[in-house]
Amino acid sequence: MNEHEISRSHPPEKPVLNIGFMALTDAASVIVAATQGFAEKHGLTLNLQRQASWATLRDKLLSGELDAAHSLYGLIYGVQLGLGGAPATDMAVLMGLNQNGQSINLSPALQAAGVSTGSALAQRAHQPGAKLTFAQTFPTGTHAMWLNYWLASQGIHPLNDVDSVVVPPPQMLAHLKAMRIDGFCVGEPWCAQAVNEQMGCTLITSQAIWPDHPEKVLGCTREFAEQYPNSARALIMAVLEASRFIDESEENQRSTAQLLSGSEYVDAPLSAIQPRFLGQYQDGLGHAWQDAHPLRFHAGGAVNQPYLSDGMWFMTQFRRWGLLRDDPDYLAIARQVQQLDLYRQAAEALGIDIPSDMRRSQLLDGQVWDGSDPAAYARSFALHALADAPLSAQQESR
Amino acid sequence: MLRILLINDTAKKVGRLKNALTEAGFEVIDESGLTIDLPERVEAVRPDVILIDTESPSRDVMEQVVLVSRDQPRPIVMFTDEHDPGVMRQAIQSGVSAYIVEGIHAQRLQPILDVAMARFESDQALRAQLQARDAQLAERKRIELAKGLLMKMKSCDEEQAYTLMRRQAMSRQQKLAQVAEQIIAMHDMLGS
Repeated sequence: MNEHEISRSHPPEKPVLNIGFMALTDAASVIVAATQGFAEKHGLTLNLQRQASWATLRDKLLSGELDAAHSLYGLIYGVQLGLGGAPATDMAVLMGLNQNGQSINLSPALQAAGVSTGSALAQRAHQPGAKLTFAQTFPTGTHAMWLNYWLASQGIHPLNDVDSVVVPPPQMLAHLKAMRIDGFCVGEPWCAQAVNEQMGCTLITSQAIWPDHPEKVLGCTREFAEQYPNSARALIMAVLEASRFIDESEENQRSTAQLLSGSEYVDAPLSAIQPRFLGQYQDGLGHAWQDAHPLRFHAGGAVNQPYLSDGMWFMTQFRRWGLLRDDPDYLAIARQVQQLDLYRQAAEALGIDIPSDMRRSQLLDGQVWDGSDPAAYARSFALHALADAPLSAQQESR
Repeated sequence: MLRILLINDTAKKVGRLKNALTEAGFEVIDESGLTIDLPERVEAVRPDVILIDTESPSRDVMEQVVLVSRDQPRPIVMFTDEHDPGVMRQAIQSGVSAYIVEGIHAQRLQPILDVAMARFESDQALRAQLQARDAQLAERKRIELAKGLLMKMKSCDEEQAYTLMRRQAMSRQQKLAQVAEQIIAMHDMLGS
């Protein structure tokens, strides 16, 4: 069925949806879909509701006050597995919203002390004395996982060698200025803004850790997806079309960045949003480059497929860092959460290519992830917090 | 007696609850320090109940507290025993989120929530009403009309007209419907 047939023969059961988002540039496709007339032709009206925290966004998804939301990949899986303050609830990933575009920054004090490489940081972290403090944005979130992954790849144990704290993104700069944190991992525009204000440097981008990594998703409860499948499909179609529109031309990206800087959306200066939105990076250490794997929203559909391997990856890291004490049934859970059928119907109606539901990636430490053996992958790292890792695995990894 | 920690870090003064809760016979500790110190404060105070503004960004810091304390009786978000979405929605809308230490009966929390919700109800801004279906249809027709006018004026196709309108809207941080109204108004003024 094409897009017109599907919205006529399967009209949304619920025509007005409340959509949550956090003030981050990677909420762009949701904001554009809601404000630029992408939903109406699918019979939907989208009411945008900016949230002050991921925890409140989650609670509102669970209470039904929000129907769907721009969500951290790891938040959806954290709720699914009952990790955190909310009761375990069946969740759904309708589509991927974006890849790439997060960063790890260091404080001006570390930069002034000549710590501007991973090895210098590892040396500093292993010195006796006060531990370094690194901030991320949500305990099961993507930023915590990028930070852990990268620190470990540099030989720094993220749970033993440094202190890890949660700081809300808009407060990162204030905590940097108060010298309460030595580094942080967060989405844009906060890293760019720190560099612009000469408050430290970007040490590494998330796409340098994992080129084209999964990041935010369009999330909802399983109950919503099952009770209102036509609304869910129409929502996917609206956001898919907005994603395609943003990626279509640089001119569209520039105007999207202008929209985002508005006070109702990200509420930050265009100078902090636009360059990195266009892939133009400066790290505060004198390097400037056009990134080969910048924040992207569509890439012909490669960004949006809710890959099973992406969903499983977050579970492997929860396992690796001890948030899960046993191996979950990785594939079975991913199959329930990732809404492959709804996504396929939406993408087919729009003539968008649908890649395979598993993908193969190589991360910066050389590790290959293709979704084929998640339990072994979770055990394959030299640094981890697996309470029950077999001794042989620990020895092998040395 | 239940010990309550009030996290007081937004304009909506959670601290105002202190007197009301103290009068109701609870031990209340008011916390208004830096966000980053919250885990230490929770550890030091060991409250049975934590109240925080639903719109406080520090809610994510509380998530860290929940996760690291999972081997002890840990505070979890108050979702009510029956997990009734109606009650939950009411609590969220009243603007106060409650964490309750596992093992404490939710019933014991009810008087606290009653006080908190009553205090906050008056603070609530009028909630945006859901856009009526009629208004949505009207808006869609206006966008169609503006698109048609633009196609004539610019001799372009439908897709190009939409793109032009969207770029204009986004560059001015407006919705598509607003730009549609401007095009129609301009067209009316200039005559056809």
